[in-house]
Amino acid sequence: MITVQHLSKTFELTKQQRKELQTQAKTANAVKNISFECQPGRVFSLLGPNGAGKTTTLRMLATLVKPSSGQIQIQGIDALAHPEEARKHIGFLTGSTGLYARLTPIELIDYYADLYGVTAVNREKRKAELFELLNMHDFLNQRIGKLSTGMKQKVSICRTMIHDPEVVIFDEPTSGLDVITAENIIKLIRSCKDQGKTVIFSSHIMSEVDLLCDDLAIIHKGELKYQGTMDEFKAQMQTKNLTEEFIRIVQTQNLAQ
Amino acid sequence: MIFRIFRKELLDTLRDRRTLMTMLVIPTLIFPIVLNVFVEISKSFEEDEQQKELKVGVFGTNSQHLKQQLQQLPKSLGKKMVLIYSDSLKLDKDVKAQNIDLGLYHHYTTDQKTLVLDWQFDATEIGRPERAEAFNAAIEAIEQQKRLKALGIQIQEIEPVKANYNNCASDEKMIGKMAGGFLPYIFIAFGFIGCMYPAIDLFTGEKERGTIETLLTTPVARWKILIGKMLVVVSSGMLAASCSLIGLFISIEYLDLGAEKEIMEVIHGMLNLPFILSLLALLFPMVIFFAGVMIPIAIYAKSFKEAQSIITPLNIVMVLPAMIGFFPGIELNLNTAFIPVINVVLATKELIAGTLSFGYFLSVFSVMLLIAGLAVLLSYRQFGKEQNILS
Repeated sequence: MITVQHLSKTFELTKQQRKELQTQAKTANAVKNISFECQPGRVFSLLGPNGAGKTTTLRMLATLVKPSSGQIQIQGIDALAHPEEARKHIGFLTGSTGLYARLTPIELIDYYADLYGVTAVNREKRKAELFELLNMHDFLNQRIGKLSTGMKQKVSICRTMIHDPEVVIFDEPTSGLDVITAENIIKLIRSCKDQGKTVIFSSHIMSEVDLLCDDLAIIHKGELKYQGTMDEFKAQMQTKNLTEEFIRIVQTQNLAQ
Repeated sequence: MIFRIFRKELLDTLRDRRTLMTMLVIPTLIFPIVLNVFVEISKSFEEDEQQKELKVGVFGTNSQHLKQQLQQLPKSLGKKMVLIYSDSLKLDKDVKAQNIDLGLYHHYTTDQKTLVLDWQFDATEIGRPERAEAFNAAIEAIEQQKRLKALGIQIQEIEPVKANYNNCASDEKMIGKMAGGFLPYIFIAFGFIGCMYPAIDLFTGEKERGTIETLLTTPVARWKILIGKMLVVVSSGMLAASCSLIGLFISIEYLDLGAEKEIMEVIHGMLNLPFILSLLALLFPMVIFFAGVMIPIAIYAKSFKEAQSIITPLNIVMVLPAMIGFFPGIELNLNTAFIPVINVVLATKELIAGTLSFGYFLSVFSVMLLIAGLAVLLSYRQFGKEQNILS
């Protein structure tokens, strides 16, 4: 379970960034006072246009970035006070995740299992399950640099799940992937949900959101503009489909500002 | 956990051909190859010079006599063809055009007692001044003998004083002081180069490949990740420096460098365990210092190219102080012992010379350890900054 309370993040702007953004301000608020909760066995989707603050929010949840203020609890652990403890319960996957090209999948998985402190017995069991599920046996001993995009994505999934995390964070996980490779991710998210894991993911692809989401939040310019269940969202839609409704909300906010 | 990270990063690094080249192959092979080529070229030049027949042009009133004297000189002084010139301007022109290798103009002083020999040559041509000096000394010795004989004087009678100059410095000390600057220069240069590619690959490379994010989401403290990676960078630097020294010692051992037997015996005598351990002890904190300077740059840089473009000029800044070792007269003292890098160079010279006191060794080691600690701290601060590690 993830609980977020009054979360904010302010970045200091470099001279170059001030020039690019055409602003005199020395800081920028990437996330402003957001609060939400993600429940186990449900998929929470964070939607928003580019630069809305989705990645910053997910990075704060993954303890990669320190919030300027607010509280984050991961499985009841204060993630700000005990980030290393919180990370033990998190699996983190992004669309731009890189892998060590000079290692083999088996070496990489063993490395991450060690970093997550997975015991030898659990590791072998987990590896066997994941290799079977993802059909990875044919390329386990090849260098990752020589694998196809689809194979690499399977290795990434395996790395994310090797320690059997209770909370899984996906940051635009299908971005840049072909339909078949993206399908592996969709299956993974469904499987996480079925296993009672807490899933939070950000995406631009509304069909994915429609397919997977139980709860959703729309973030725009660092602020939460909508939060509720998918059913509630659909019930109050003023347009024909999710994409149009998303555009309408963002445009309304732009006009209001 | 630090060791697990070290093990993985080392495996990753050892599978990188570029790093392997700069860490192992180049440092090990550079000295055997360069010295072999250098020795072979020098030998072939020397042989060519000895076998080459020099054309000596002679001008002056007593040319026929000088020609005979030159022709009678021992063969060990090299082959020569003597030509008599009747026009000094023509001889001058031929020497300048290199049709003649040595021009010899001669005349007597006004009291007719001294024969003045003026040698003309192009000093940029290898061996010309040496051959002229050798011919001149031989002719002078012949003329002196003749004159002493005519006067009935023994050579000992005109030598009232004979000086002997005795060097009390040991061979080790002489080698250490005169050539000892070369050794630290090598290991500083290769220590730096050895650190460079792993530092860029393990930090900037990880950012560029997008693997840093996933690594930082593991429940491992950042400082442990930093130290694990840093150990690989330091090991690479140590390995490259050690390989360059091994390469140098292989060259000394197996190549005929033309050095005197006594010098080679002294060099062999130096290569004992305490010497090697002391050398590595001086090298170790310096390589940590190099790693500690490079890593913050590698963390800050957004691309491999950017990191390389900053670190490469830094190489000159770091290696330049090593040149101090080549200057005679600059010694390890209470001031120089506290100047990083320079102190290691001077301490190594003293180590080779066998004159490094334990107090100075400890001072240099402590200063470098302190500097290395500060560099590690700097790396830690940079590694902790979000804007540096996440794009």
